Amino acid sequence: MAYPYVSDREVRILSKHFGDPDQRRLEHARARGRYQALARAFEMGPDAVIEEVKASGLRGRGGAGFPTGLKWSFMPKKPTRPHYLCCNADESEPGTFKDRELMRWDPHQLIEGCLIAAYAIRAKHIYIYCRGEFFETTQILARAVEEAYEAGLIGEDILGSGVDIDVTIHVGAGAYICGEETGLMNSLEGRRGQPRIKPPFPAAVSAFGMPTTVNNVETLSAIPHIVEHGGAWYREYGTEKSPGTKLFCVSGHVNRPGNYELPLGFPLMELIDDVCGGVRDGHTLKAVIPGGSSVPILAADECEGVSLDYEGVQAAGSMLGCASVIVMDETTDIVKQVRRMVQFYAHESCGQCTPCREGTEWMTRILRRIEEGRGTEDDLDTLLDMSRHMTGTTICVLSDSAGAPVVSSIRKFRDEYLALIRRGERVGAA
Amino acid sequence: MANDQNTVTLTIDGQEVSIPRGTTILQAAQRLGRDVPHYCYHPGLSSPAQCRLCLVEVEGAPKPMPSCVTQVADGQVVHTQSELALDMRRGVLEFYLVNHPLDCPICDMSGECKLQDYVHVEGRPHGRSREPKRVFGRDDFGGDVFYYGDRCVMCTRCVRFMTEVERDSRLTVVERGNRSVIDTFFDEGLDGTEWSGNIVDLCPVGALVSKDFLYKARAWDLTHTASICPSCSQGCNIELHTRDNRVQRLKPRENLEVNAFWMCDHGRLNYEWINRGDRLEAPLVRTAGSGEADTRAMGWKEALGVLLERADAAGTQPVRAVASPFMSNEDMAALRALVESLGGGEVVYRSVRAAEESVLEGLPTLARRKERAPNGRGAELIGFSRVGNDDGTGGLDDVARHDGIVLVLGDGLADQDAEFGASAALYVYLGTHGSPAAGHADFVLPVTTFAEQEGTFTNLDGRVQRFWPALRAPGAARPAWLVLGALLAERSGTEAPRSAAEVFAGLAQGSPAFAGLSYDDLGTRGATVNQPVSLPGD
Amino acid sequence: MSDARGEGAEIPFRNPGWAGNTGEFDLTEEQVRGEDYVGRRPLEGGHPSGAASYPYMLEEKHPEAPLFEGAHQERFLKILSRYPDKRAALLPTLGLAQEVRGHVSPETMQRVAELLELSPAYVRGVATFYTMYNKAPVGRYLIQVCTNISCSLCGADDVMAAFLRYTDTETGETSEDGNFTVVEAECLAACGFPTCVQINSRYFENVTPADVPKIIERLKAEASGGA
Repeated sequence: MAYPYVSDREVRILSKHFGDPDQRRLEHARARGRYQALARAFEMGPDAVIEEVKASGLRGRGGAGFPTGLKWSFMPKKPTRPHYLCCNADESEPGTFKDRELMRWDPHQLIEGCLIAAYAIRAKHIYIYCRGEFFETTQILARAVEEAYEAGLIGEDILGSGVDIDVTIHVGAGAYICGEETGLMNSLEGRRGQPRIKPPFPAAVSAFGMPTTVNNVETLSAIPHIVEHGGAWYREYGTEKSPGTKLFCVSGHVNRPGNYELPLGFPLMELIDDVCGGVRDGHTLKAVIPGGSSVPILAADECEGVSLDYEGVQAAGSMLGCASVIVMDETTDIVKQVRRMVQFYAHESCGQCTPCREGTEWMTRILRRIEEGRGTEDDLDTLLDMSRHMTGTTICVLSDSAGAPVVSSIRKFRDEYLALIRRGERVGAA
Repeated sequence: MANDQNTVTLTIDGQEVSIPRGTTILQAAQRLGRDVPHYCYHPGLSSPAQCRLCLVEVEGAPKPMPSCVTQVADGQVVHTQSELALDMRRGVLEFYLVNHPLDCPICDMSGECKLQDYVHVEGRPHGRSREPKRVFGRDDFGGDVFYYGDRCVMCTRCVRFMTEVERDSRLTVVERGNRSVIDTFFDEGLDGTEWSGNIVDLCPVGALVSKDFLYKARAWDLTHTASICPSCSQGCNIELHTRDNRVQRLKPRENLEVNAFWMCDHGRLNYEWINRGDRLEAPLVRTAGSGEADTRAMGWKEALGVLLERADAAGTQPVRAVASPFMSNEDMAALRALVESLGGGEVVYRSVRAAEESVLEGLPTLARRKERAPNGRGAELIGFSRVGNDDGTGGLDDVARHDGIVLVLGDGLADQDAEFGASAALYVYLGTHGSPAAGHADFVLPVTTFAEQEGTFTNLDGRVQRFWPALRAPGAARPAWLVLGALLAERSGTEAPRSAAEVFAGLAQGSPAFAGLSYDDLGTRGATVNQPVSLPGD
Repeated sequence: MSDARGEGAEIPFRNPGWAGNTGEFDLTEEQVRGEDYVGRRPLEGGHPSGAASYPYMLEEKHPEAPLFEGAHQERFLKILSRYPDKRAALLPTLGLAQEVRGHVSPETMQRVAELLELSPAYVRGVATFYTMYNKAPVGRYLIQVCTNISCSLCGADDVMAAFLRYTDTETGETSEDGNFTVVEAECLAACGFPTCVQINSRYFENVTPADVPKIIERLKAEASGGA
């Protein structure tokens, strides 16, 4: 259930035990069913597991939405070299806070999902790449892994199956770009966390030059449930192209921010008004970012009828991303918030590709200048043109992400920019 | 066109071509004579595809593709000059100029700068950035390298060269994003590295510059002449860059079979001796008597006339000849031939040999070799024996006291005393500079350095490589092969050679090692001599 | 800058650091932070799988301490054993070095380079890429205030200003008593509990400007009482 607020609209699968500190302890977790799916997976065999996950239609929950079963099927079926599974716990997308909750309330769910995934892709080693700032959360996970090792659930001959799988908790050191799949690889290998060009693709050559699959925490946490209840069961939730449930991270100007687990396709306005108790009292909705700071902003009038699944949000002109819903009311200073987001990208850019390295910083400076009342209307044209040259021209999509809030805000809130440019007037205070 | 397993057929800018599988679009375009702008790609390094400048349009691809890593494929249709491709590259170039300072008036790279070139052809006429530029200043990296961080385009060629080729990771990118800059480990710098000068060549802009060359000359004032590095027996292919009849700097020239794209720091900076001003400029003849006051400068015709008389007067005498391994194959062949015509004798050479070579770990066939001269192998193949110590001294006691004919070609005799050749019936000294050991020379004849003549050197692997003249010889100095060839011709009643090619052809005729080679064969890449080359002392 | 939960919400007990007291949950700080479950992690690393996952933002710093000795050396060897090559242990090793010494100085980079057979320049390149390696000494408490969008919408700038005021420092500077360094941070992944502040290894959630003096007092008490 959601933490710190509960809603009766929720479908509590992954988040069932949020807020329950006992769930971390192995004997409690096992009593409630953890690691039964692992035993079942061993009975099924790795290929059957992959088929079940394919049948479920589970899509990567880290933001890309790539079908998980398909991703697993890219790994060689007969390993000639070591395979690796990397769990991407480097949650850094602004507005996103679901993986932290999953790790700190139900670590055994994640561990079980990792083990099943590693088994399916014939990997013998799992690296859980935890964001460096997650000290307390990582400690909980580390203790849970320790408990699992002590109980023979990780290591050699797990549950007497003859399967050997090891887990290592790897810790990052403060870089958003290490949440990108290939950036994570480089960081894991002890390098600067810069994304790599593809090809070669991770399923062929990745961590330490070996076939690797990278999956998000939420994706892996869903796996035990899919294995236990079947892919068809999972499809009972959500929509046809976006099956299953999703942890929606709602933040910003709502009465009850937090994580809420809901079926995909849930209406955006119901999430805000009903589940989260509406925009904070006395205020009106101005804009919503539906999928984390990297997706286009939706103006309030565009939010009616938007359903929160990959296709629905795309139809509305944005993207679901990692489903981090950031709600902004009329007190919001759009220009300031866009500047803050672009500043984030400038700070986090790895610096390899010129459009991103120069463009994100240049955009930040222009936006700051506009914010300070020293902008011109040409600046808006420059920003739009820059975004065009920063989209599709780089190794990874951080550059594209920096452009998304700029382009969408200039199109939809042009008046706010013009008020600053022409009259030095700020609209909004937050 | 045969479309076998190993080639693909694709269309580049409307032209259908067959290209070997595995080639990148950038390389394919280069074969067609089109240079797609690029920075981070270099044929001697890895391809990170990070500069994003080489973007081209590939029909059917969702976004512009980096041509340096995108491989050719059957049926691919590539546009390097389409609206989309040009627009994308124009955009990327504008990003490069956001923080790049307008240093052209004070930047060494001006005139050979890839940012100037590309922006001129494909960039926007005006940059739109009005923000203050970030400033890093100048950093002394040690060795011969200054780094101007403001100018850096972050292509990381320098970092990758040190890591992948010199295999000494001295350089790194520090910080990230727009705060990125290249640096060493604090004060460690590049001191102690032996190949780091190559990063100056690699830098496409003026971020890495040579301290030696700083503010010396403008790129467009320099004349480039193909040559061979004289500092060791590796025979790196180089260019002499000259202005005002002086060598201003050396640069490596590409030859995949010898030095790839590189040369060592020592060889690169060891050129000042070519510019030495205190040259022998006129033939000096000692008239009867043995005091210095009886030395007279003469014109060549007269001097050679007197020389031939004295040679005849001396009669048949044993000859002792000393050559320098800095002389060309042609020079030494002419000397040998002259010695034979005088009745034969001993021909020797001396050279400095270090205890160790310095191998470039990323390309182990390239090293700064033990023998610190360009043509020791050539000398051996032509019949000269090596004498003396590994520090280049000694070995000439016999010659010094010889009472027959003594011929010295190019060896400065720095370790010999003023009594050298005092007993000789005839002592001829051919060199570029005077020597205290030439006091008893009957004839002191001015010859050219390798930089002032055409010729060939033979490297330690037996590769014969041509070099061309880059400087005008001072005064009446002439190539040694010309002088000796004229003498030989007079004595034997034949025609004197008029070109180095002729001399080489004569060498090829007479020597099994050089047989079959000609200047045309050698071209600008060289070719190997015939026999397996393994001689005592290897 | 208003409380995200709206004016006048009934909250039984407000003490920023955890969001357990919304009325729907009733948790202690230990339970939310997981301290009751994790306990005291052994200095030598415990199980090798988690040897790299330690709290390496300690209040006590020893810039001259050797790398590595005793229990830390044991932990370092456990870290090494989890990777196929030494280079991959670089991030956890730098983290361990920072745990011991408090920041990553050039000498520290040199020593880590020796331990892992990498070039010092390479280690410098990696260490400077990541935000969390302190290149200069920091105060006893490194206070990182998230000012990214979700917290920014809910008054993070005021929280930041409050921290600067109550510690009497400038951004990035260390206070005179050596206790506090205050910086802005990027999204800390606690967006539902604005404003989120990370202080050394701990997350403080739902921080408002009014909470700041109380937090500072608490930290000062921990510092003098010995934490």
